[in-house]
Amino acid sequence: MTEAVQLSLGSGWLAAVDAARSVIAGPSWAGWILWLPLISLVLCGVCAALKIHTKLPAWITVGSLAISFVVIVALYMSYRQPMEIPLLDWFNLNWRSNDGQAGSFVAGFAFYVDKLTLLWMLFVTGLGTLIALYASEYMEPDVKRGYARFFAGISVFLFAMSCLVLADNLVMLYLGWEGVGFASYWLIGYYYTRPSAVAAAKKAFIVNRIGDLGLALGIWLIYYNFGTVEYANAQGTGLFQILASGSYKHEAGGWSIQAIPFLLMLGAFGKSAQIPLYVWLPDAMEGPTPVSALIHAATMVTAGVYLLARMLPVMELHPAALPTVAWIGGLTALLAATIGMAQYDIKRIWAYSTVSQLGFMFVGVGVLTTYGAAFHVFTHAFFKAVLFLTGGAVMHGFAGQLDIRKISGLRHMPGWQITAWTMLVGCLCLAGFPLSSGFFSKDEILAQVFAVHRPWLGFMLLFTALLTAYYTFRVWFRVCAGPVSYEMGEEHHGHGDDHHHGKADTGHKAPPRHAPPAHVAHQPHPPRFAINFVLVVITVGAIISTFSGSWVMDKVSHSSAAVLHAADSHEHHPGWVPWLAGTIAVAGIVVAWHFHLASRKSADALRARLLANPLTRWLPTAMENKWYVDEFYEWMIVTPLWIFAHALYLFDRYVIDLLFVDGVARLPKWMGRSFQPLQNGVLQSYAVLMAGGVGLAILLVVVLMPHLRPWLIGFFGGGG
Amino acid sequence: MADRLPMVDKLWFILPEVALFLGVVVIFIMGLSHSKRVRDMLPMITCLSLAVAFGLTWWVYEGSRGQTLLSVNPNLMLMPMVGKYVKMSACAIGIILAMVSVGSVDRRLEAAVAAGHLPFDPIRANRGEFYAFFLLSLMGVMLTCNANDLIWLFLALELTSLPTYIMVAISRPPRVAQEAAVKYFFLGAMATAIFLYGFALLYGSTGTMILTEMQRAFAAQAKADVVNSFGIIGMILAMLGICFKIAAAPMHFYAADVYEGAAAPVTAFLAFVPKTAGMVAIILLLTTLGWSGHPSTGLPEPIMTTLWMIAVLTMTLGNLGALLQRSVKRILAYSSIAHSGYMLIGVIAGPANNGINAVLFYLLVYGIMNTAAFAVLAALERRGQEIETMEDLAGLRIKHPGMAVVMAIASGSLLGVPPLLGFFAKLYLFIAGIQAGQIVLVVIAGLNTAISAWYYLGLVTLPIMAKPSAQSETIVRSPFPWPRIAGIVTAVAVVVLPLFLGPLIRASQAATTPASLTTGVTISK
Repeated sequence: MTEAVQLSLGSGWLAAVDAARSVIAGPSWAGWILWLPLISLVLCGVCAALKIHTKLPAWITVGSLAISFVVIVALYMSYRQPMEIPLLDWFNLNWRSNDGQAGSFVAGFAFYVDKLTLLWMLFVTGLGTLIALYASEYMEPDVKRGYARFFAGISVFLFAMSCLVLADNLVMLYLGWEGVGFASYWLIGYYYTRPSAVAAAKKAFIVNRIGDLGLALGIWLIYYNFGTVEYANAQGTGLFQILASGSYKHEAGGWSIQAIPFLLMLGAFGKSAQIPLYVWLPDAMEGPTPVSALIHAATMVTAGVYLLARMLPVMELHPAALPTVAWIGGLTALLAATIGMAQYDIKRIWAYSTVSQLGFMFVGVGVLTTYGAAFHVFTHAFFKAVLFLTGGAVMHGFAGQLDIRKISGLRHMPGWQITAWTMLVGCLCLAGFPLSSGFFSKDEILAQVFAVHRPWLGFMLLFTALLTAYYTFRVWFRVCAGPVSYEMGEEHHGHGDDHHHGKADTGHKAPPRHAPPAHVAHQPHPPRFAINFVLVVITVGAIISTFSGSWVMDKVSHSSAAVLHAADSHEHHPGWVPWLAGTIAVAGIVVAWHFHLASRKSADALRARLLANPLTRWLPTAMENKWYVDEFYEWMIVTPLWIFAHALYLFDRYVIDLLFVDGVARLPKWMGRSFQPLQNGVLQSYAVLMAGGVGLAILLVVVLMPHLRPWLIGFFGGGG
Repeated sequence: MADRLPMVDKLWFILPEVALFLGVVVIFIMGLSHSKRVRDMLPMITCLSLAVAFGLTWWVYEGSRGQTLLSVNPNLMLMPMVGKYVKMSACAIGIILAMVSVGSVDRRLEAAVAAGHLPFDPIRANRGEFYAFFLLSLMGVMLTCNANDLIWLFLALELTSLPTYIMVAISRPPRVAQEAAVKYFFLGAMATAIFLYGFALLYGSTGTMILTEMQRAFAAQAKADVVNSFGIIGMILAMLGICFKIAAAPMHFYAADVYEGAAAPVTAFLAFVPKTAGMVAIILLLTTLGWSGHPSTGLPEPIMTTLWMIAVLTMTLGNLGALLQRSVKRILAYSSIAHSGYMLIGVIAGPANNGINAVLFYLLVYGIMNTAAFAVLAALERRGQEIETMEDLAGLRIKHPGMAVVMAIASGSLLGVPPLLGFFAKLYLFIAGIQAGQIVLVVIAGLNTAISAWYYLGLVTLPIMAKPSAQSETIVRSPFPWPRIAGIVTAVAVVVLPLFLGPLIRASQAATTPASLTTGVTISK
């Protein structure tokens, strides 16, 4: 572990693959990390089958996730060096072809645990538990409907995410990768009666499919070139070990090796919502808010960052791969920030900010500060979870209202203090306010960008940071500060259900469900214990994560994601970057304060002025319409595909179906019918047929075989 | 060779069969009891003896005594470890089959006795016989694996078949079942005559009954490049005769009629037990000829050609026959024929290409998924009658969601839909075929799978998606829960076992490895 093996490639970049060198067997009880969510899934299914209309599924899920978290902590405590924990034999195929070549395809259901794994698993299971607890209150209007389904989805997600992170080989990682995609589809489409939710679920699934194809091809090429999909194993034939030893022929592989990093990248961009595959994430906010917080902000979307960090040695197989990652990340960060500035829906703003922050993380990976990327993943997981959960609390309390123009002065309302102040902490972190957690983690990436001499990328990111600070505080000043005023949303979220009476602390008398919803007096109800508790805990986590930099660094630098690059040390980081970044953050907040608290009218006036001027009219419109990217995709990809598909459909319908399929389909039936007379049920005729068959066989062998011999040898002898 | 009284040594390996036989005796006696409670215990005793035999098999083969015996006397059996795998599979699936059969025999008689219409008359009661024959037939399968001479092999095969004739006859109210049983018996007798004749020719051409010695005799003949043509014809006749057991062309004609005539649990039994015995017998016989030493798969061309024809005809006729049926049992009968054809691909591929272990694995998988499908038929009924046609299954999900799902899973697996168990079994067979260079055969099998999708998908979609028909409205659960439980257990196995593919495949590899075959298989770990 101390000996770092350097791998030198054409790019001249160096990567350490030290950790993979020595792998010890880990404790088998770690398997419970996986089995617990699985058990919880089964139990939730049982609850659904038995029509249990209580909060039982939530407690089952929270309980099993909490134990799973405890197991992770125990594993963390006992951690000494990278571990391999075999759970089940999955694929273990060994063969020797007839020419004596041995081959194998080994992909066990096994964990590979190093510090990177532990870092990821700690926040995945920790936040998973807390957000499931939050959801137990948030989802309570659905106790009679999809409560068990929701928590079953959360369990599936945690199972799949644990598979993904803990996998000791790429096939199991792929299982988890598809699994989280499936869970995401399941939960985005949770409100399946709402067409927009169904469309969003489909969009997420289909866009992810493009990325998954890249990942699948990448994994296949890795197996094709290196003969293994395992990261590391006891025989020393794992992927990282092969890369570390340099025992493969880099040049000989040609394109099939050099394509690997780009294919993995495509997979990562799909899952982590980067250009050009980011469009699914904002729509994914159709899912319940805890899902947005857990899956689409804190954990699943960081899987792409995890993949690239884990596969860092592989990413260096092509010199242009990591710069591409950096630039795509940077452009995504900027694009998403500009869109986020012009949205009015709280969850959408947070969604675009997630895309934007994920861009920062990819820049981190791209400029080889995996430490910075992981640190930002870690801090972001907390503060973004806080932001989403506060947004969810608002949505829950104001009957689905999320428009920042329609809620104001939250911090003056009774019972909303915790929400308002935790949101402030989250906003400070996201904006990168000096000495907040986001400030440190973002700085780590920014400084590295300047250290590797990519000033253009650096200034673009600094500009993005300014926009980030602005749109973040635009939300807070609009929603939490200012005079008290609000408009309730359209949703009644089931508070009229009869199971709900008697809960005095909901604070309002719910209207009966069949009453006309529009003009019934409907008061906001502030969050209760579960939501407030979770908000406070995660906010404390967000604050504590400020000081976790060196801890995260220790985790990353002792894993396969470690970077041994001269520029990764702090000495080379330009000292002015944190000062500038801090100033920019404050500047952004001040601008937001001016437009959205001090004189809210001026913001509208500015917008009106921009719209009035024909030269600048396009700017706000285009930003509000997300730069028309969805429309562009619709026009460039969906429409041509639709036309193509319809042409194929017509071809299929009239040429294939009519001419071939129906014809071919009739053939077997017709043949079957021609044999049917043989099957007449008469004993004697069966006996005759059997005897005839035997006679024919003997005749064939005795009489015909000698004549057919040469032909038959040609026919059967082809193999071997 | 070391003369250590081989018969005594062999007896050690038939301890599980001895246990089953004890069960048979107990069941014969208990079946005559006047107490209903005692009679109702019969299926349990059956399962219990099978469980004991299961444990004993493991102990006998893995225990130090068995290991020593095998190592000091390599001529004890031709493929000693096949026994462990096949016997354990047969016992496990036997338990499930026994569960499926609860309540099928003597139901009317028992009902009449319970209602007081009739006094209990041991002469008319068939339950004892049924379960005893059930165990005897399974015993036949297990003995087949231990066969090291032609007489033992013959007796074991007949011990497998003879009880099934009676089981068919007593499984249902007389008329239908008896016709099926008579057909089955006569055609079976004819097939037996054919393979017995083949055995005689084999003896004549090698001068020995002992399989291990026969293997040496054939090897010597092959070395001199003159394999006795009587030997070849004897082998072909033996194979053709045994094709009756596995329901392969041209001996498959009985299958549809007999399967339809017997009660569903017995049909499930017929589709697994004789088929396993027949496959093992074919593998044992061909092992004496050996796959080794030839450029392709090594079997002499006449045998190769015959097998190839049988395989193609079997799968094609099976699938084409199934297309036209409306009766679920007939469909499954033809599907059973088709599956025998697929399995022959593995036999053709031979051990060097992992073909034999693919067949053994397929047998186990087929036993599981086929039993699941039949369990559904056994678990549901209309006015005391079994459900038969596709219309009966339509829209099953409304009233019997569990059984609808079991049927869908079983049919999906029979078709080979990933990631169900049947897919992997078929995959291993096809891989073996491709490795052996049998591309044409595998392509034909692929086409056949495509044809089979027609009726299997019908069985998947009808229960789940179709609207209930007037017929299916009147279907109720049978009063016995065990067939349902068996169906659910097997369906879960079909879904879950793919997670444990590694151990299963290794077990089937271990079954064929230390034998006197040249295998190209390396066992990992």
